[in-house]
Amino acid sequence: MYKKNSKISIKSYINFSELLKEYRGTHEENRLFALKHEALLPNPKQILLAWMEKNSFRKSKKSETQTLIQKFSTLSNFIGLFSLIFGFLAGLGLLSYSGHAPVNVIYYLLFAMFIPLLSMIISMVSLLSSGTVFNAFSLFFPLHWIETVLNFFSFRDKIDVFNTLFSDELKKWMFMNRLQLFSLLFSIGLLFALLVIVVSKDVAFSWSTTLNVSNIDFFKLLACIGFPWGHTLPSAIPSVELIEMSHYYRLGENLNTQMIQNADKLGAWWKYLAMVTLFYAIFLRFLLWLATRYGFQKQLKKDFLELDGVEKLLREFNTPFVSTESPKEEKHLEIVKESDEQVAYAVAKVYETIIGWNFSKDEILLLNDAKGISSSKISTVGGNNSFSEDQKIAKEARAEVILYVKSWEPPTMDFVDFLEELLANDNVEEIQVYPLGTVGRNYESDEREVAIWKRKIQGLKSKKVWVIDV
Amino acid sequence: MYSSEESLNNDYPKFAVVGHPNKGKSSIVSSLALDDSVQIGDTPGTTQVKRGFPLKVDGKVIYELFDTPGFQRARRVLSWLNDQEPVSADKKGDVVRAFIAVHRDDERFIDEIELLEPIMNGAGIIYVVDASKPYGSEYETEMEILRWCGQPSMAILNLIGEENYTEQWKSALGHYFRMVRTFNPIKATFIEHIELLDSMSQLKEEWTKPIKVAIKVLEDLQDQKIEQTVDSIVSNMVKTLSYVHRQKIVGESATTDEEEKLKLSYREKIIKFEKEQEQNIESIWNHRSIEKVENMLVLDNVGLFSKESASIFGLSQQQLIITGASAGAMGGLGIDLLLGGGSLFLGSFIGGAVGGVGAMMGFDNLYEVKVLGQSIGKRELSVGPMKNLNFPYILLGRSLYHASVIAKRSHAMRGDIDLEQEEFLTEQIIDSEMRKTLEKVHVSLRKGDEPKEEELKAYKKVLKESFLGLL
Ligand SMILES: Nc1nc2c(ncn2[C@@H]2O[C@H](COP(=O)(O)OP(=O)(O)OP(=O)(O)O)[C@@H](O)[C@H]2O)c(=O)[nH]1
Ligand SMILES: [Mg+2]
Repeated sequence: MYKKNSKISIKSYINFSELLKEYRGTHEENRLFALKHEALLPNPKQILLAWMEKNSFRKSKKSETQTLIQKFSTLSNFIGLFSLIFGFLAGLGLLSYSGHAPVNVIYYLLFAMFIPLLSMIISMVSLLSSGTVFNAFSLFFPLHWIETVLNFFSFRDKIDVFNTLFSDELKKWMFMNRLQLFSLLFSIGLLFALLVIVVSKDVAFSWSTTLNVSNIDFFKLLACIGFPWGHTLPSAIPSVELIEMSHYYRLGENLNTQMIQNADKLGAWWKYLAMVTLFYAIFLRFLLWLATRYGFQKQLKKDFLELDGVEKLLREFNTPFVSTESPKEEKHLEIVKESDEQVAYAVAKVYETIIGWNFSKDEILLLNDAKGISSSKISTVGGNNSFSEDQKIAKEARAEVILYVKSWEPPTMDFVDFLEELLANDNVEEIQVYPLGTVGRNYESDEREVAIWKRKIQGLKSKKVWVIDV
Repeated sequence: MYSSEESLNNDYPKFAVVGHPNKGKSSIVSSLALDDSVQIGDTPGTTQVKRGFPLKVDGKVIYELFDTPGFQRARRVLSWLNDQEPVSADKKGDVVRAFIAVHRDDERFIDEIELLEPIMNGAGIIYVVDASKPYGSEYETEMEILRWCGQPSMAILNLIGEENYTEQWKSALGHYFRMVRTFNPIKATFIEHIELLDSMSQLKEEWTKPIKVAIKVLEDLQDQKIEQTVDSIVSNMVKTLSYVHRQKIVGESATTDEEEKLKLSYREKIIKFEKEQEQNIESIWNHRSIEKVENMLVLDNVGLFSKESASIFGLSQQQLIITGASAGAMGGLGIDLLLGGGSLFLGSFIGGAVGGVGAMMGFDNLYEVKVLGQSIGKRELSVGPMKNLNFPYILLGRSLYHASVIAKRSHAMRGDIDLEQEEFLTEQIIDSEMRKTLEKVHVSLRKGDEPKEEELKAYKKVLKESFLGLL
């Protein structure tokens, strides 16, 4: 059973989309499933996940996409670790203080604040844009290039699979999310390097710029940057005095003695730098990472619910299954074609006996008149006759018998019973069954109807009985 | 699953369709149960055993219909019944039950027992006769037996042949049945189906409510089927019109041979899409055993662009231009302006001034073949999406026509479907206002863009409207 708040993961997304390609169930099965999981019905995501779990055994093969995704996540982890180390090394590089030239805080600020801020802005713009704009922006990101190159080498052919599996929008979120993660790791590495250096070394910080910036202006700028934590942590804002002290005129005196004397005071910069890193490079990035993660999850859920086949599933979950067919398979009757066996193609003018099956006497007389057939003995059978009456007629019949039948009324077993009694009578030499059409059609019978009579008579396998087909 | 045996004991309306052999009992059941697997045939005695057709909603039976074999030895049955000790009317049913009990192993009465059993288990009687053939007193035997059963009953007049003896039948049947209805299983519309159910609901007070429920269920089902049909047509339209067929090629540029092969497989793919779409429609409407005689969707230059083909399912040149212009497909050509002045001049104007239009409907650029080769080692030839302006209407016209034939087809029909009809005019089914909506989607698909959601919605709505008009 699924928990109410279980999230869709990339893995379940892929599993689901692959399962849907192979199996979607029938309306009956799906509706039955939904009725069994009625509590989940209001939540499409949950019931789909439950459905997936129940049917996952139907997926035939181990998915190639899964291994591909695995590769991607390994690659991701690798890049993540790399970012962390790279950040650390970059930090060491930036903060390397040989004892001669002090460390310029402006360099550090560049890496810990300006670049992160810029990249975050680009990230946000590209997130809010779509399609080609996004693609253009993604060219700015080194990650894009790393992946492009790696893709090209390791799984160039499979990249298509990857492309068709996820929507552009989802790929964008995926990409941006990982980008934030890597940047975050980079910044953590940077902060780590700062702390390590501060602990293990004595670093002198200074600032210098070609631009004509006064100490006061620089202080204002730094205080402005440090505004977010200025009130709670005043010691992590460099004082005007410190700024003055650490102003480094590369073109003027070298490290002056005053600076060397105040080396420990100059080191007070680290708190500020650490806070800048923590706030701009780490905290803000973390927020952005959260935001992209949220965006990614939302997109994943949206795509999940838009997978091909989901609409059908949800519809079937929610609409009652109606069936009208018979659950019982019908044993189909084998139908033999009629032949020309036992078929007479002419009618005689005189018969010893005329019998009408389900005809009244008057009807027979009319019929005789129309067809020019005559006989001394005319009887009616079937209809409302009793069996004994019919039996008597069958017994008394002699020589050639013509048996009028309504062609449109197919022969029933009742008729066959009578015919068999007639056949049992040895005085009867020949029986001709004459299927006649309605009076409205001048007794003209339908070919199809006569065929039914032929088949029936042929089925009796008697040489004495014929069907008249004229 | 309920077996029909079990369900006999349950308390829902049941109806046994009975009568003389070969009078269309199975046809009526087949059409009412929307089941085309029922065997229907010229041969009397086609149906040999009774068969239940329950209407089930999520497994719960709402009512059940029984198809039964025809009476074979009615006279014998009646004489047996008459030979028993005379009983009062309320006991007559017991005599019929006794008949069944006594003759259960009697080969002669297999058919009668099969048909009497559901009735004696509480099923209402639906007596079917063929009113295109004259009435005969021999029918009274059967009706007399049914009267012995003492169950609520009605008669259905089915007109199988050309003649009509309805009046004769009505006055005879009136003596035995309170209700006589005409129902032609082959031609019956959905509304007639519902009306018949409504009549059945009046047979017994307790049945009225469940049958009303059943009617609602069937109406909902009909709506669902319509909805699914439209969805299916729309998704096939989107799939087909946006379809791009790709193929790897060896050299720098494609050979004519490669191009021809590509075009061929593109066409085959689109034909395949249409076939699948048709099967989908057939299964939505429960027609699973259909044999069709139909012209294939011919997409080669002659077939698709021949005047005949386009005039059956496509739009005329003039309509096409109006449609294209109103949807902005040919923006910048000034046709919008011209239309304001009256379309009388349109033809001549188009002929002379707008060469581009002719080309868009032309015979040669049905599709564009492109070579794609930006990335190293991956040179491809691609064809599609379909550029021809008329193609969507031809495809749509065919789909709508096919779907409407299937939707209206009775499940009692066993013959082939003839889909070659010349009177179907897409132009009349889809007016120019509707086409405006359709064209928006066609335009984006043609460009290879995904159509906007609200445009697709409007598209569906228009299709539904025209589909309903065809039903
Ligand atoms: N034209 C037309 N033919 C019909 C109609 N109803 C039935 N038929 C034909 O009549 C023949 C018999 O139909 P069935 O439905 O098999 O009749 P039945 O009463 O079930 O027959 P048995 O099962 O043999 O007792 C078939 O060939 C049907 O196609 C109708 O409304 N119109
Ligand atoms: Mg039948």
